Amino acid sequence: MLKSCTIKGRCLGFLLLICLFCGMMTGDPWKAIAGGPSSENSVNCDMQQGPCTKHLGDIILTLDILPKPVMAMKDLTFTLTVSGKNLSSEPFIDLGMPGMDMGPNRVELRRVKDTVYEGQGVIVRCPSGRKTWKATVTLPQTGKVEFVFDVIY
Amino acid sequence: MLSTDPLYLAFFITGLTVGFGHCIGMCGPIVVSLSLNSKESHLVFRHLLYNAGRVITYGILGGLAGTLGSFTILASSILSLQKGVLIFAGTLILLMGLAMGGWLPFGNFLGSGGSSSVFSKWFQRFSAAKSSVCFLLLGLLLGLLPCGPVYTALIASARAGMNAQTTPEAWVSGMGLMLAFGIGTVAPLLLVGKLAGLGLMKSRPLIYKISSVLMVLVGVYFIIQGIRY
Repeated sequence: MLKSCTIKGRCLGFLLLICLFCGMMTGDPWKAIAGGPSSENSVNCDMQQGPCTKHLGDIILTLDILPKPVMAMKDLTFTLTVSGKNLSSEPFIDLGMPGMDMGPNRVELRRVKDTVYEGQGVIVRCPSGRKTWKATVTLPQTGKVEFVFDVIY
Repeated sequence: MLSTDPLYLAFFITGLTVGFGHCIGMCGPIVVSLSLNSKESHLVFRHLLYNAGRVITYGILGGLAGTLGSFTILASSILSLQKGVLIFAGTLILLMGLAMGGWLPFGNFLGSGGSSSVFSKWFQRFSAAKSSVCFLLLGLLLGLLPCGPVYTALIASARAGMNAQTTPEAWVSGMGLMLAFGIGTVAPLLLVGKLAGLGLMKSRPLIYKISSVLMVLVGVYFIIQGIRY
């Protein structure tokens, strides 16, 4: 069969359909070709049970999402507590799915207390059925921390 | 509204980048299915119509999100409709796959049928008379398919609407963002449609048969996802 596949890529469309089929199952055709999600994108906190804490050098960041359970397609309040550093500008959170480009979804945070920042956002639902989401917290001029967690559909 | 102008460009680029990744993965099978069931001479025009329909739907959704100033209200309002559209898209792909593989009595769904059954006559009429217009209608309908990046763009549209001074301005801001996003996604899906329609799969019966099986699987997958959604 392959021999019969000559120039102009006789098999191109066929391969394309196979890639798309695999891509649909994983949500991204290029990831489907390159391989599955890496371990760095595996769940590293249980946001359904309560706040999650991560370290960025000496800085301690605690993220909580309310109301519980944390559900997709609902208005959510993101609360970030930053200990160990006074921030010169306000942090923000980028929401995304590990290994899948869902477009820019940023939660702008406002200071509500000395070390507490809060913002509103929505985690959208992926029709592929995948429920793992990533909240990348950025402290301007300092660094980033990733919270990877499961949401409920 | 002028202050949001750079946002339009940003969302056009977002549509383009997401289009080459996520959209090809999630919506590509639909586009490929349409290509496999169309004559090559009509292909680009039909895909343009399909994409135009999709972008118009995005624009309307964006306008609604902007006017409401809330993504979640809009999303909960159209949830049942989206579920139905997902099941419809799956059924469509399943039927096209079955017909393409010769497992249904009425030939290609959007192409020429071979049998003289009632199904065949209906589908021949469907394909001969207004099939190009059908692609526009199909795009309008399938623009409602649940899709993560579309939701994300709608969140931005709702925010743009919240920042607007008047209701018409909110509508225009939301619609503009979604139109920019939608137009960005057109090029990747047109490319996939064109590649799939090069006559490659149609030229080899075995490849054509395997493609039919894949389409059936994709159709079933869409239907299951629709039921579970």
